[in-house]
Amino acid sequence: MQRLFLILLVVLAGFIHVVSLGKASDAMKKLPQGADYAFVLPSPILKVAALEYQGLASDVLFLNSMVFIGEAQDRKEKPKVKEWEWHWWLKTLDAATDLDPYFFDPYYYANAFLPWEAHMTEEANNLLEKGSRYRDWDWMLPFYIGFNDFYFLNKDVEAAPFLMEASRRPGGDPMLASIAARLAFKENRTETAIFFLEETVRGTDEESLKKLYETRIQALQSIALLEKGVDLYKKKFGRFPSTVDELVRRNIINQLPVDPYGGTYYIAQDGKVISTTSSELEPHFPKSMKLFH
Amino acid sequence: MKTLWPIALVTFKEGIRNRAIYGITLFAFLLFGATALVVNMVPREAGKVAVDMALSTISFTGLLLVLFVGINLMAKDLDKRTIYTILSRPISRSQYIFGKFLGMVLLITITVGILSLLAMVAIVLLKMTHAEYFERFSWSLIALAVFLTMLMLILLTAVSFLFASFTSTSFITLALTIITYIIGQSISGVKTLIESPPQALGFTVSPVTANLVKAAYYLFPNLSLFNIKLQAAHDLPVTTSYVAWTVLYGVVYICLAITLAALIFRKKEFP
Repeated sequence: MQRLFLILLVVLAGFIHVVSLGKASDAMKKLPQGADYAFVLPSPILKVAALEYQGLASDVLFLNSMVFIGEAQDRKEKPKVKEWEWHWWLKTLDAATDLDPYFFDPYYYANAFLPWEAHMTEEANNLLEKGSRYRDWDWMLPFYIGFNDFYFLNKDVEAAPFLMEASRRPGGDPMLASIAARLAFKENRTETAIFFLEETVRGTDEESLKKLYETRIQALQSIALLEKGVDLYKKKFGRFPSTVDELVRRNIINQLPVDPYGGTYYIAQDGKVISTTSSELEPHFPKSMKLFH
Repeated sequence: MKTLWPIALVTFKEGIRNRAIYGITLFAFLLFGATALVVNMVPREAGKVAVDMALSTISFTGLLLVLFVGINLMAKDLDKRTIYTILSRPISRSQYIFGKFLGMVLLITITVGILSLLAMVAIVLLKMTHAEYFERFSWSLIALAVFLTMLMLILLTAVSFLFASFTSTSFITLALTIITYIIGQSISGVKTLIESPPQALGFTVSPVTANLVKAAYYLFPNLSLFNIKLQAAHDLPVTTSYVAWTVLYGVVYICLAITLAALIFRKKEFP
């Protein structure tokens, strides 16, 4: 009898344990958050504190940053990530790459998110330059810098040497050198950007990131198509069309391309094609990331 | 050597029988298991993280062994007064110390060997499933990293023997050894930090602190010298001269510490 009572007690305690753990951690999530992310220790202190486990500390910092990106996906509010959070995120990746400057993943994710979503291209490039210095065998890092300089910062001249560097490194496409030359002419920026992104996809294995880049390519291809139409229209009629529909009506293009981000296209006064979803390709999160399945 | 060997063997057997070793083994298994879990969360450089985890597990488990088994082995004879029966035999006190140390070296070597085998299994398994992320990877560099870790653990053991020779309880030895480990791993980082220009630091270092750090730098063993986990994880070049000088430094420090321990132990008065 006593034994049965004891077993029941243990079962009950086990049940309460599971329930209370769930309830407590749910309630914990509803507490004002942010303190966790608010600071990153300065790298020299981290380096000393990590003792002989600097590589491991770098891995942990990187995983922290990945967990944050994963959690941010589920957020309802817009923008999903606040500005100070992006700064924290950058600091974390910076610290991770100070502990192990040869670690590729932090650079890879910094490049995938900071210029596109956080509008922190300069900061991303600083980080990537550190990576490019250490990982001197890796063509992708100087390539990313070159792309960011060209696409986000409009610094075509600055982009060229990075692309040349990328083309020289093992695995780098020799075509990059000719792209660097093309940058001297300010024409066909959209097509150059498409080529760039196709190169990026080539260096990307991760499916969800690949999808992210492919959507960006699709959006740029639509814009490139419309831009060509606008040019043709200008040649034919001597003025810019006022709406994109005019291009279809006058049989310049067969049908309007679909904006993969769900926006509609319009034509600015200077003949530039812009989408309502994006002044410069609206940032968004990858729908699925390997990490969170 | 003939008199040392039996003591070494007894020490080794005692170490194996220590209950702490079960806990340490379980811990190592958990860490190797965690490697698989963590590696799956890293999208690209899975190989690097796997090597990081494996090497860190080996060195941390080895550290636990030195701290919780090694120091106990030395202290037990004193605490339980069995030292009298040993010293009544025809062996000198120095021989006793050297024998004990040899036994610990044996224990560390075999433990690190077993851990390396486990680590190898973990890495090979991950390499089979994530082959494309093991581009920069070298077994020989990993082996070298393990060897240097072993040397570091033996050095720490020698230092713990030195502490045990003049302290009265094993707890003080443990505390001193832990402090030595932390200082040894961080001292070269701290030295670089305080020697960097004040503009970069954001504060000025007083000359007293600077000298104190410099003194500690030469007094304490520089354990971070033996750490090439980063190089092993990324297959970065490691020069022969680095290996040669580091091994020389390690061996000389070990000899100094253990000889000093024997000298002090000879003069020690037992209660």
